[in-house]
Amino acid sequence: MPLEAPARIVSELTSRGYNAEREAVTRLAAADDPTAALERVLETVPEDALVVRTDHVRRALSTDGTDGPAGSESGPDAGSGDESPSADVPPSVSTGTSAASGRESAERAPVETEGSPTANRSADPTQRSLEIVGDMTGQSTGTGEYSDFVSVFRDRLDRLGAKLRGRVNHRPATAIQDMPGGSEVAMVGLVNDIRSTASGHWLIELEDATGTFPWLVMKDREYVDLVDELLCDEVLAMEGTLADDSGIAFVDSMHFPDVPRTHEPSTADRHVQAALISDVHVGSQEFMTDAWNAFADWLHTPEAQHVEYLLLAGDMVEGVGVYPDQDEELDIVDIYEQYEAFSEHLKKIPGDIEVVMIPGNHDAVRLAEPQPGFDEELREIMSAHDPQIVSNPSMVTLEGVSVLMYHGVSLDEVIAELPEAKASYDDPHKAMYHLLKKRHVAPQFGGHTRLAPEEKDYLIIDEVPDIFHTGHVHKLGFGKYHDVLAINSGCWQAQTDFQKSVNIDPDAGFAPIVDLDTLDVTVQKFS
Amino acid sequence: MRPEDEQYFEGLEAQLDEAFDVAERAKARGGDPKPAVEIPVAKDMADRVENILGIDGVAERVRELEGQMSREEAALELAEDFAEGRVGDYETKAGKVEGAVRTAVALLTEGVVAAPIEGIDKVEILENDDGTEFVNVYYAGPIRSAGGTAQALSVLVADYTRALVGIEQYDARDEEVERYAEEIALYDKETGLQYTPKAKEAKFIAKHLPIMLDGEATGDEEVSGFRDLERVDTNSARGGMCLVLGEGIALKAPKIQRYTRNLDEVDWPWLQDLIDGNYYDDEGEPGDDESDGDGDEAETAESDADAEADDDSATDDSEGPPRVETSEKFLRDLIAGRPVFSHPCAHGGFRLRYGRARNHGFATAGVHPAAMHLVDDFLATGTQIKTERPGKAAGVVPVDSLEGPTVKLANGDVRRIDDPEDALEIRNGVEAILDLGEYLVNYGEFVENNHPLAPASYTYEWWVQDLEAAGADVQALEDDPRIDLEFPDPEDALEWAVEYDAPLHPEYTYLWHDISVDAFCTLADAVADGRLEGEIDGDATLVLEYTDPVREALETIVLEHRQRADENRIEIGDWRPFVRTLGCEVRRTAADGAALEPNEQTPTVELERTWSDDDLSSRARTWGHEAEGDNAIEAVTEVAPFRVRERAPTRIGNRMGRPEKSESRDLSPAVHTLFPIGEAGGTQRNVADAATHAETMSDTPGVVELQVGRQRCDSCGTETFKNRCPDCDERTTPDYRCPDCDQRLEPDEAGRVECDRCEREGTCVETREIDVHEEFRDALESVGERENAFEILKGVKGLSSQNKIPEPIEKGILRAKHDVSSFKDGTVRYDMTDLPVTSVRASELDVDVGQLQALGYEEDIHGEPLTHEDQLVELKVQDIVLSDGAAEHMLRTADFIDDLLEQYYGLEPYYEFEDRQELVGELVFGMAPHTSAATVGRVIGFTSAAVGYAHPYFHAAKRRNCDGDEDCVMLLLDGLLNFSKSFLPDQRGGKMDAPLVMSSRIDPSEIDDEAHNMDVVSQYPREFYLATREQADPEEVDVEIAEANLGTDLEYTGFDHTHDTTNIAMGPDLSAYKTLGSMMDKMDAQLELSRKLAAVDETDVAERVIEYHFLPDLIGNLRAFSRQETRCLDCGEKFRRMPLTGDCRECGGRVNLTVHKGSVNKYMQTAIQVAEEYDCRDYTKQRLEVLERSLESIFENDKNKQSGIEDFM
Repeated sequence: MPLEAPARIVSELTSRGYNAEREAVTRLAAADDPTAALERVLETVPEDALVVRTDHVRRALSTDGTDGPAGSESGPDAGSGDESPSADVPPSVSTGTSAASGRESAERAPVETEGSPTANRSADPTQRSLEIVGDMTGQSTGTGEYSDFVSVFRDRLDRLGAKLRGRVNHRPATAIQDMPGGSEVAMVGLVNDIRSTASGHWLIELEDATGTFPWLVMKDREYVDLVDELLCDEVLAMEGTLADDSGIAFVDSMHFPDVPRTHEPSTADRHVQAALISDVHVGSQEFMTDAWNAFADWLHTPEAQHVEYLLLAGDMVEGVGVYPDQDEELDIVDIYEQYEAFSEHLKKIPGDIEVVMIPGNHDAVRLAEPQPGFDEELREIMSAHDPQIVSNPSMVTLEGVSVLMYHGVSLDEVIAELPEAKASYDDPHKAMYHLLKKRHVAPQFGGHTRLAPEEKDYLIIDEVPDIFHTGHVHKLGFGKYHDVLAINSGCWQAQTDFQKSVNIDPDAGFAPIVDLDTLDVTVQKFS
Repeated sequence: MRPEDEQYFEGLEAQLDEAFDVAERAKARGGDPKPAVEIPVAKDMADRVENILGIDGVAERVRELEGQMSREEAALELAEDFAEGRVGDYETKAGKVEGAVRTAVALLTEGVVAAPIEGIDKVEILENDDGTEFVNVYYAGPIRSAGGTAQALSVLVADYTRALVGIEQYDARDEEVERYAEEIALYDKETGLQYTPKAKEAKFIAKHLPIMLDGEATGDEEVSGFRDLERVDTNSARGGMCLVLGEGIALKAPKIQRYTRNLDEVDWPWLQDLIDGNYYDDEGEPGDDESDGDGDEAETAESDADAEADDDSATDDSEGPPRVETSEKFLRDLIAGRPVFSHPCAHGGFRLRYGRARNHGFATAGVHPAAMHLVDDFLATGTQIKTERPGKAAGVVPVDSLEGPTVKLANGDVRRIDDPEDALEIRNGVEAILDLGEYLVNYGEFVENNHPLAPASYTYEWWVQDLEAAGADVQALEDDPRIDLEFPDPEDALEWAVEYDAPLHPEYTYLWHDISVDAFCTLADAVADGRLEGEIDGDATLVLEYTDPVREALETIVLEHRQRADENRIEIGDWRPFVRTLGCEVRRTAADGAALEPNEQTPTVELERTWSDDDLSSRARTWGHEAEGDNAIEAVTEVAPFRVRERAPTRIGNRMGRPEKSESRDLSPAVHTLFPIGEAGGTQRNVADAATHAETMSDTPGVVELQVGRQRCDSCGTETFKNRCPDCDERTTPDYRCPDCDQRLEPDEAGRVECDRCEREGTCVETREIDVHEEFRDALESVGERENAFEILKGVKGLSSQNKIPEPIEKGILRAKHDVSSFKDGTVRYDMTDLPVTSVRASELDVDVGQLQALGYEEDIHGEPLTHEDQLVELKVQDIVLSDGAAEHMLRTADFIDDLLEQYYGLEPYYEFEDRQELVGELVFGMAPHTSAATVGRVIGFTSAAVGYAHPYFHAAKRRNCDGDEDCVMLLLDGLLNFSKSFLPDQRGGKMDAPLVMSSRIDPSEIDDEAHNMDVVSQYPREFYLATREQADPEEVDVEIAEANLGTDLEYTGFDHTHDTTNIAMGPDLSAYKTLGSMMDKMDAQLELSRKLAAVDETDVAERVIEYHFLPDLIGNLRAFSRQETRCLDCGEKFRRMPLTGDCRECGGRVNLTVHKGSVNKYMQTAIQVAEEYDCRDYTKQRLEVLERSLESIFENDKNKQSGIEDFM
């Protein structure tokens, strides 16, 4: 039997309903006769197993005695971590193709039957840690009353305002009106309205729990540039001088909740990586099966041995009824079958990778944000890989590194409202910087983004994350803002007719990989 | 013009003059904004054009040019006049171009629509990148009413004038070109275009246009790509521009080309490429994959559009019966509660019959009144239907000379219902509507829509010509009192078929083409096995064994019969033609064979099948349209002893559009007087409430701060807001001041008021305190009415006109007294759906012969003296029939006018009507939305149908057709007395729908030429029917249309029809859509009906209702919920977002949501239920499931949703 690509083993396993640990696959691939070995393994796996584990393979093959070396695990520190793959393909280069990496690993497989490359991923599960904060699934208490909306915005003012109140000598809106003209004043509030005046100045109305007060930004002041960045309903503080009649204040400075410049990101204590992807769109005619399979294959290779976490920022499937006549462009018309297909694709991911996912605007949950994680029926469909399914947005902490996952619908609005130089589809991470600065994933109400009122504002960025991960715009981009790594992952859906018509060229088939110990990013290309 | 026509018009004009005098006298006395009647009379189009534009000298020039050239050429000629300053007083080049463009549009729209004043905002001169100047034309939304040709020509005229005054061409920047393409796509998505150029096409046009098309933003959605352009003011779609480029230039390129060829000054060589679709190669990148791909797409799209035109060629190529292509377009955007009557070309749907009934033509469809009742009253006279062909929509008219629908009753009887009374009687027992009967469409409809003729049904009027062509003496047969040629006995029909070798009479021709050859053979077998009961030479009945295939076949060919499933028999009454057509013979066998039976004296009768399946030729066996052998007509031809034509080869799909309309036009809330009362009148805008309203305890009740125009009395200097000085009763004039320096200003000749010093526009509008209480009391006193004369007097919140001149409250008091309300221009209006009628009977109009004679009707349509009520007379062009509701409303308006004349103006009453008969002969205005010219009409009678019947020329003069359009009538003196331009809103479209000018007589050559395409004959020739089988171009057939008489003495007469109808108001008076209560009731009825109709697939209907109505509603409301505004319940203040205080920032009142849970999920359960019950696709069901869960997730608390046992542990 010629060398067997892990991909074929994986697809064989998934076709029979099994997921597999990466080492298990590696071992199978290394067997003299992988096909026979596979059969033997499947005969011996327990009835209730969904995942073919290294144990199973070892047991099956060792009873047979054909696979001698697979006796026991060699030490995880065997130094094989920095062997050939990383030498051949520098991680920072994003041009490695799936076929190449697949073949490489296959060729190398026999050499690695010592089992050492896989040790780093699964040898010591106790080294892993994964915590979720801010998951509101099952916690939706809003009933769509007026008071629910008021609570949300008050909570926003309270919590984001708290980050500003220490910085300025703030006064309530109603108190400011009663102060003598010419006073130095400051206020913390939500932006209620932004207007330009006839003479080209800017009038910004701030609102707090007592009322509103107008602030005038003169067109010739240096910070006038900031006005372009403002979105309605974000929280900020303004300082300035009260006009003679106390009816308006002239702005001297503006303060945003922002990420403190002193922010120092946490890192993992060991070399471990996370793959950050989104927008898989299974069910679409444009879903890139080959690229996805290449990605899955790659995860089975030693090169990917440190990838122990996979974060999925929404849009697992293409969905139904997202736009008119969508059914004509669906490969899988049935929404449940879409999730079943997605689950099959997920199974190709090594079973020992931890998966966390949040829903997006194509998924079968409510569109209004925050979006709770999938319901029981869909979870059941996707249970094989046992992913963590949490709400959009949610904060996930991986070995001390906090990742704020948000699908990214508000990016459209940020890009539309802000000048092109400050936010564009070509640099989606720059749009994300603004959200970090505003410490809110979707500040503006009443526009593009939909809001479901809950008892508190789940969309606030309360704690500064180490990584901010979004998707939605199908463009790849990453960069650092005040040492927070912002990543917008691309997608797994080729250009659609609609995207063609509005001239959007998606970045499809990329997987950004983050080193959790350094927060460095490498991008793997699979298309 | 014939003398009698001249007499008619002179009569109308004399009556008009009389009313004018009264109005002038009244106006001189009252406190109206102007002391004279404000609607000028235009005798012809030239007058109207000048009056609408307000440019002196245009009328004279138009009249000069009119005789010599076409209107389009005249527009170009006038452009020269403008350029050289011979017409119009413009100093700037931009002004000259503007004048020329406006005049062109006015001329091409016959001076009727508002497009020239409202649709063209301005023309300005901008700079190209190389520093040269170019022309920019600003279009606005109302340009739509000009139509594509006028829009396109306005661009040409602009370019022509540009060339003449010496301005360079526009050189579009690349981003501007891209912007055009993006914007047109956006506008099409948002609003919809009749024709949307593909991106390449739009870019091609934009790149080559020598002038820039620009305009106002008309939508909220913004383009995403090419934003913030220097020379484009807005990021939203500019509707006017999109219309002109798409429906104008792109669609009408061939028409423009006709004129560019003759002009040396303009050169549009690219038009040819546009017409040929060569713009792909023009890009110079033929190898480019993308452009190739797009090219293919465009071709597909084109061929789609031309699919119908290609019908004939397609059928030429392939063997098979001539059939039209199905078109699903009319089913788009199906709405809950408006049923589908027939799916496209479906068996059992309406059968196309050609002809024009007297209440028909001009975008209408004739339906049998029995069918109107049987579709559960959803169709009434005037109900609009969206139709498969030849047009897009049509107004329904009752025509009972058609064949009625065929139904299956619960007792198993299959009956054709030709009497509306029968329809009502049996309606409850109808199990299925097997066939909807005939659907009358006139030839002119195909001409107007340029639609190839569709194969005609075989009907009496064709057959009788076939018979004549076969050599029969039709005249003799017609004269024979024993013979009914149209509805003959079966024996006669068979005899003629055999004797003259003419096709079988349509009465006995069944729909053989709708059953398969197999089913045909099954039927023949069944007949051969059948037996006759009763006297063979008398009323024998054919009895067949009851089997499903036989039953289905009989139902499909629409043969009347009785099904008796429990007795295992099917009975057929008129069996002879049926049996003979099936190729079966009646054989009498001699009794001797049955000698064993002594009492068997009569010979037994047997039915013998004279052919076997194998006798059929392969052509007959495989004859079909959709599948081989699905059409048995060729089999019939081979086995029947006579010729049989296809009975109904064309079925026309349709669904309900708008319901008919006949109701008074009220603003919402209704307004009695255009007097402002601010918020003081509450939501009802009650003047009496405002008169006692006080904001706080310290305010004087009734004193309200309002924005009104300041007027000044020139003789005593008093400042007031009234048109007459309260001190000296002199007329006042607007007191304009500069808003900056408060300098008093006088308007210049053009009516502009500008302060020279501050260069600001002056205004007379000021905010002042008005004592509404005093005004109200004074007004009551002045007209001598008490407050209990009316229930409520409603004013307006504020005035939207430029000078904000309030109307005298007195008029409102009298309106309230007579329960009529005012439109925004001060007139009282009544809306009705337009329908055409060319001949009427006194009996159906609730008038007597004497009344008709008094109106100048002396002869009936046959030239006989008019002596009794049932004679048909030809309607005069400006005579109209009022609906009962309209008559009632007109009577109240007349009472109001009489009181107004007596109590306010101090004159004699004018109308003094006792009952509605006295309305006959009175003049009214007809006035359509989007137009600015009223047409004078005369009341001739009344109908119970909820529509406005009038001569098609009258509707065309208002630029309406009858496909569901509606417009209004006003009582003549109401318009003359109460209309004022000063009331019109000072905003885009404000001058639309206002009688800026009136036409006193209709000139047929100056009306919308759609009306000229109506056929005016009493019979279509046999060649016409034969040509329909070839799906010929309608122009190739010789049927006389109204156009032929234009400009001759006969232009007002000779509107013949092919079909009569007993009464123009048959069928239900109101559509069930209007009589059923809730939306749910309507939808239930719609779905119930879809189950009954054989031509309708109920699952598809349910699917579409969910897809186009429920889902958009649910999704839209859900979206609206999560980004909604809030509103104060107390003061009405709106907030973009919920105030953090929770309460209203303005008044401290309670604030609440504008979109509630209830409005979001009102259709959720219904939609799920319908999807389930009608077996919709999983895709649809799943979309509903996902939505339902979204709703739950938003509106339900996860924590107390379930009270499971764990909650108590």
